[in-house]
Amino acid sequence: MIISTNWLADYVQLQVLPASLADRLLMSGLNHESTRAVGADTAIEIEVTSNRPDCLGHIGVAREAAVLFSRPLSTPDPRPLEGKGDAARSITVEIHDQTLCPFYSARVIRGVRVGSSPQWLVDRLRTVGIESINSIVDITNYVMLECGQPLHAFDLQTIQNGCITVRRALAGEVFTAINHKTYSLTDKMCVVADAVGPLALAGVMGGVRSEIGPQTVDILLECAQFAPLAVRAAARGLVLASASSYRFERGPDPAAVDWASRRAAAMILDNAGGMLESGTVTAGTLVCAPASVDLRHDRVANVLGINIQAARQQEILLGLGFESEGSDAVCSRWKAPTWRRDVSREIDLVEEIVRIEGYDRVPEDEPIAARPVELSLHEKTLRLASDALVGAGLCEAMTRSVVNDALETTCSPWGSALPLVVSPALVRGADRLRRTLLPSLLEARMGTLAVGAPHGDLFEIARAYLADDTANKDQGTASSRSGLIQEPLLLSLVTSGNFSTAKGLAEAVLGRLGFDPWEINPASNTGYEFRPLQLDLFSPGRAAEIMLCTAGSTAIRIGVVGEIAQPIRDRFGSQPAVSAAELRLDRLEFAAGIEKKLQSLSDFPAIGRDLNLVVGEAVPWASIAAAIYSAAGKLLEECRLVQVWQDVERLGAGKKSVVVSLRLRSATGTLSGDDAMRTIDAIVAACGQQVGATLRA
Amino acid sequence: MSAETGSTEPSENAAVSDLLASFLSETDSLCTAAKTAIAAASDGSMLEKARIEFLGARSGRLKAMTQLLSGLTAVDRPAGGKQFNEAKATITALFSAARERIAAAQTKDGLAVVDAIDVTLPGERVRIGHVHPLTQTIRRVQEIMSRLGFESVDGPEVEDQWHNFEALAIGAEHPARDPLDNFYLAVAQGTEPLLLRSQTSTVQIRVMEKRRPPLRIVSLGRVYRPDTADATHYPMFHQVEGLLIEPGTTMAHLKSVLHFFASSFLGGDVRVRFRPSFFPFTEPSVEVDMEWDGRWIEMGGAGMVDPAVLESVGYDPDAVSGFAFGLGVERIAARRYGVADIRDFYRNDVRFLEQF
Repeated sequence: MIISTNWLADYVQLQVLPASLADRLLMSGLNHESTRAVGADTAIEIEVTSNRPDCLGHIGVAREAAVLFSRPLSTPDPRPLEGKGDAARSITVEIHDQTLCPFYSARVIRGVRVGSSPQWLVDRLRTVGIESINSIVDITNYVMLECGQPLHAFDLQTIQNGCITVRRALAGEVFTAINHKTYSLTDKMCVVADAVGPLALAGVMGGVRSEIGPQTVDILLECAQFAPLAVRAAARGLVLASASSYRFERGPDPAAVDWASRRAAAMILDNAGGMLESGTVTAGTLVCAPASVDLRHDRVANVLGINIQAARQQEILLGLGFESEGSDAVCSRWKAPTWRRDVSREIDLVEEIVRIEGYDRVPEDEPIAARPVELSLHEKTLRLASDALVGAGLCEAMTRSVVNDALETTCSPWGSALPLVVSPALVRGADRLRRTLLPSLLEARMGTLAVGAPHGDLFEIARAYLADDTANKDQGTASSRSGLIQEPLLLSLVTSGNFSTAKGLAEAVLGRLGFDPWEINPASNTGYEFRPLQLDLFSPGRAAEIMLCTAGSTAIRIGVVGEIAQPIRDRFGSQPAVSAAELRLDRLEFAAGIEKKLQSLSDFPAIGRDLNLVVGEAVPWASIAAAIYSAAGKLLEECRLVQVWQDVERLGAGKKSVVVSLRLRSATGTLSGDDAMRTIDAIVAACGQQVGATLRA
Repeated sequence: MSAETGSTEPSENAAVSDLLASFLSETDSLCTAAKTAIAAASDGSMLEKARIEFLGARSGRLKAMTQLLSGLTAVDRPAGGKQFNEAKATITALFSAARERIAAAQTKDGLAVVDAIDVTLPGERVRIGHVHPLTQTIRRVQEIMSRLGFESVDGPEVEDQWHNFEALAIGAEHPARDPLDNFYLAVAQGTEPLLLRSQTSTVQIRVMEKRRPPLRIVSLGRVYRPDTADATHYPMFHQVEGLLIEPGTTMAHLKSVLHFFASSFLGGDVRVRFRPSFFPFTEPSVEVDMEWDGRWIEMGGAGMVDPAVLESVGYDPDAVSGFAFGLGVERIAARRYGVADIRDFYRNDVRFLEQF
């Protein structure tokens, strides 16, 4: 909304500089955008919040200024002279659907001379950025900018039989607006029509057929209320926003309908001549019932934390147009003005009072009592996980949650249901909610390597979105609110290393979160293990799923890790070798709640033993480790894989040597060679039984 | 021992034999020579030369003296051996002392210089990663708010219309619910489509539905609004929202908490200014400006929680009151780090990420 300071002076004599006015308006809720000189006038552009349609007219802004500067406000009371003829005999008005148009009024003015507007009118319109068209159109614009109520003037001769119908547009109905563009309407929109078809797109724009021009002699002056939803449907649906639609979407003052009609008629008679037929032809009902609101005497202080004298409260409310309806020991009662339909409750009155009084009076040193607070498991988990990866040299990325089709065709490790689709697209082509972060990270990695970054090792922690998928549901925790959609919290990483690098990074995170490999102590509550995995994302034979094993329950998938398959790498800009991992942090958060307890350390000497075990080449390390731990008992402090090698001549075909280094230590005393030997013997025996291992001399 | 004398018994007062006398004098002069040579050694290599000459294991002069010693008679040998051992100990001690003396001369500030290297060569620097600047900003906000007892909470990003709109007093006809202004999902829940949340206030509603006052929470995370991406807009961004619900809460508490926040976040005593504004879920509603480098910068919106919102979650607006505020993370991060184009936050260029 642009206001002209010359125009404002018609209603209130401020005697302050435009900058001072703009500043006071800013601090009372009309945000200042710009101030500039236009000839001898000054244009101040302000931003009006959607609850204040009254300030979409000069009178509304003048009222605010009058209260802020304690000056009197005066507004015109137009009384146009009615002549011969009865408007009701010239025209009829009918509303088919009052949900689209609650109220419609029309006047008839005959014999006007459509010409150019007087200079003062042209100047004022120019100040607020509106081009002068002709005297009639300029006056309807002027009155709208004066009181916030839009009006429209039709060339009466073009309206068939003078019969106006306000109705729902037919789907596909065609309408040519005064901008000479043709629009195809929908049944969400409202039109002002005659028997031939639409004359105007109600509340948005007039039609070319009934446009006022030099040939116009008789006019029909429309002043109506149109429903915000219908106006918005037309303005947005046809991309045809206007000053009129902007105001109707916010709901102008119902009492202004009659005032604006009188004001425009009087101005037309003054500036374009003609004769006003008597009466106003109306249809529908104008609902105009301002609320009565009680304001408890202590309420202002209770909400604001400051005292404002009762007399000052009254002064503000009266100045804004509220009517006092009495007062008792508890509260005062106020009737809101018709132009303030946003004020219907006590809290609204409190806001009005402080808005004018000024927030500067609210102190900023009110003490606040201390309260204990702890980081949630979620927050603790985020920090532990990202600290681990930052320590390992990865940078945290942030990629879009909504991706394009090309990214989404990469399947998700977390369920087979199709991706959810949003409308509109987040950015061009991206309308799928992602089910895994990995493709986004591969894309980010490609991008940063392409511009010559020193590395492309990235991680991200974010949610993915899964449509309900029963195959996935039994896999444990879901952060679902509706039962229809799960939002697993994922941590993904990409690295230039191989499988082992990505696995090591995943294990570093798991370790930081408090998880150990399952084989270390299967009797403990939980631990993780890696199992071979087939997934299109990863090279065959170079991928694993990470399972969380819990004593007494089924293992659940908490992650995947692998080397990205060549076809996927090709899709992301032929990246050099890259490995990746993705973890379900939502399934791991609980561990952040487990209190750490000191494991007492033994100072007795340790005994180290290396074993060179020869096993079949297909035997996985996990089985060997499980055999070792199963027989080791409490004395085994560490079991470390040193080396795996194969040599047909020395070991035989189909065999491999696995060298492990064991460290034994007792918590209660110095370990004797015999005790150590017994444990080692038991380990060797278990390895023999469980994985067919023989000891190489 | 003298074979010629044929004497087999040593005499206490026996005169010193010539051979022994010669051995003793030889030892003395060796000692003197070693003393001179060691004293003259001014660096490691001269000292090493002296060591080889006198103490050398194969052809040192002390080693040669052992030949002479073995040539003495059994009678003379104890005296000769004693003298020899004393000479050897003396020379060894002199050598040790000289070695320390030379080493001390080569140290600086009491530290021994071992193999000097080019200390300006690059170190084997361990690569440390970087936390995203938006995450750093969020954590900083969380950390400051936690000092005032605000607990960080999290909630779903796909929301229903109750939590995203109705519970926040955004009615069915409100323009904010327009399909063009939200990311609605194609799947319907009943007849009402779900949507990507347009604000983190949804989390506040969820917390209030589950818990009773007093409450102090910060909800944060990704929110989504269909804006065309440009230097100051992105259709996905981050919000941090604070909520406090306690009996007797006033706008003075709100302003004081934001003053504490601004001063902690920006450093120093930062002034906070309220301008009236309009949000459906707060009343009174304000825009919050903070004074930054001598200018008022818009930081976000705030207000007292609207009584209608308190009622919608089953609280009694006459018994408790509260305030809420929201900050745009990208905006304050961009300002803090001098990022002119917020799209840079989502480009994931490692050269960008490594600067924070």
